[in-house]
Amino acid sequence: MKNFYIIIGGVAVIGVVVVAFALRGGGSAASVPVDLGDIGNQELVDLAQGMVYGDSDAPVTIMEFGNYQCGGCAQFASMVKPQVDLAYIETGQAKFVFHDFPMPSLPHSFLAARAVRCAGDQGRYFDYHDSVFRTQRQWSRPDSPVGHFNDLAEELGLDTGAFGDCLNSDRHADVVTANATLGQMLGVNSTPSIFVHHGSGRAMQLGGFQFIDIQQAVEAGPGN
Amino acid sequence: MTEQSAGSGARLPKNRMLVAVLSLGGVFLAFYLVAYNMGWTPPIPCGSGSCAAVQSSSYAWVGPVPVSVIGLAGYLALLVLAIAGLQERLAASRAVSFLLFGGALAGVLFSAYLTYLEAAVINAWCRYCVASAILITVVFAATIPEVKRMRKGSIR
Repeated sequence: MKNFYIIIGGVAVIGVVVVAFALRGGGSAASVPVDLGDIGNQELVDLAQGMVYGDSDAPVTIMEFGNYQCGGCAQFASMVKPQVDLAYIETGQAKFVFHDFPMPSLPHSFLAARAVRCAGDQGRYFDYHDSVFRTQRQWSRPDSPVGHFNDLAEELGLDTGAFGDCLNSDRHADVVTANATLGQMLGVNSTPSIFVHHGSGRAMQLGGFQFIDIQQAVEAGPGN
Repeated sequence: MTEQSAGSGARLPKNRMLVAVLSLGGVFLAFYLVAYNMGWTPPIPCGSGSCAAVQSSSYAWVGPVPVSVIGLAGYLALLVLAIAGLQERLAASRAVSFLLFGGALAGVLFSAYLTYLEAAVINAWCRYCVASAILITVVFAATIPEVKRMRKGSIR
């Protein structure tokens, strides 16, 4: 029996060490908005940079305030945005700018926005953005989606160590919070909210998020 | 199989020692998958296979409970039973033999079902699930001597 207890003790020690090693770095990801302190409007706008897809010099800007956990946003990403890309982004007529708009009612949406920005640190923002929307149903469970986000990073060939370090920190929490605050200042109260801006004057908030809504706003030109 | 305990004169079943050691390994394996389901882990290093596809599938959950939690509970139960069955007064217990064999049988059948899901429904493999399937199969094989003990042992 003594030998048995020595063996089982050895297995226990090895198991604890292996599991502790595997769990290192997990579990401290910032998943709620942070306090931005006494920030002025211009500072807020500077901080709340959206992510640009397409030619940054394109005359028209199509802006989305989106939430990675919202079904309409996933639908927009899979069905409408490809049409926008084809008609306006690839032709250089417009650029697409995505702004995060996480909501407390969708508890993983803040973390998802941070995850996508962590992928953006490695130059794969929109690849990861698409993957997060495509797999939305898989990670929108009550349990933490950290493992899923890490696996997506691995599947996209990102540096998973750097990605994990970013996700398990508060990196980009201020930028995501600023994006949401900017959206609220612009009157966004649902997602996806689409704006079209022709380079001068105010951006026009659209009433819908179908391709026809965007097409009409883009084709209408400035001042309409 | 000689099953003599030093100095006591009682026969201690060596197969239960094997079950205990393997089940302890299963406890750690299952705990790692529970940690994944709870989001406590960095990426599961999957190499070949697709752990994300398996662990994110609807089959990774039974209602609100991750399958890994069921596995953890099963391995813990087998570990406790095997160690209890190594105590002299329970060494000949038919109840312990029945629970060990029955528990391992249930585990191997459940694991076979999960392996079938990976192969035929999800079409993806998680190496940790495969490792667990192999482990529970060996545990089950190690409990086969319990069938003989069930016939001969005490009711206790």
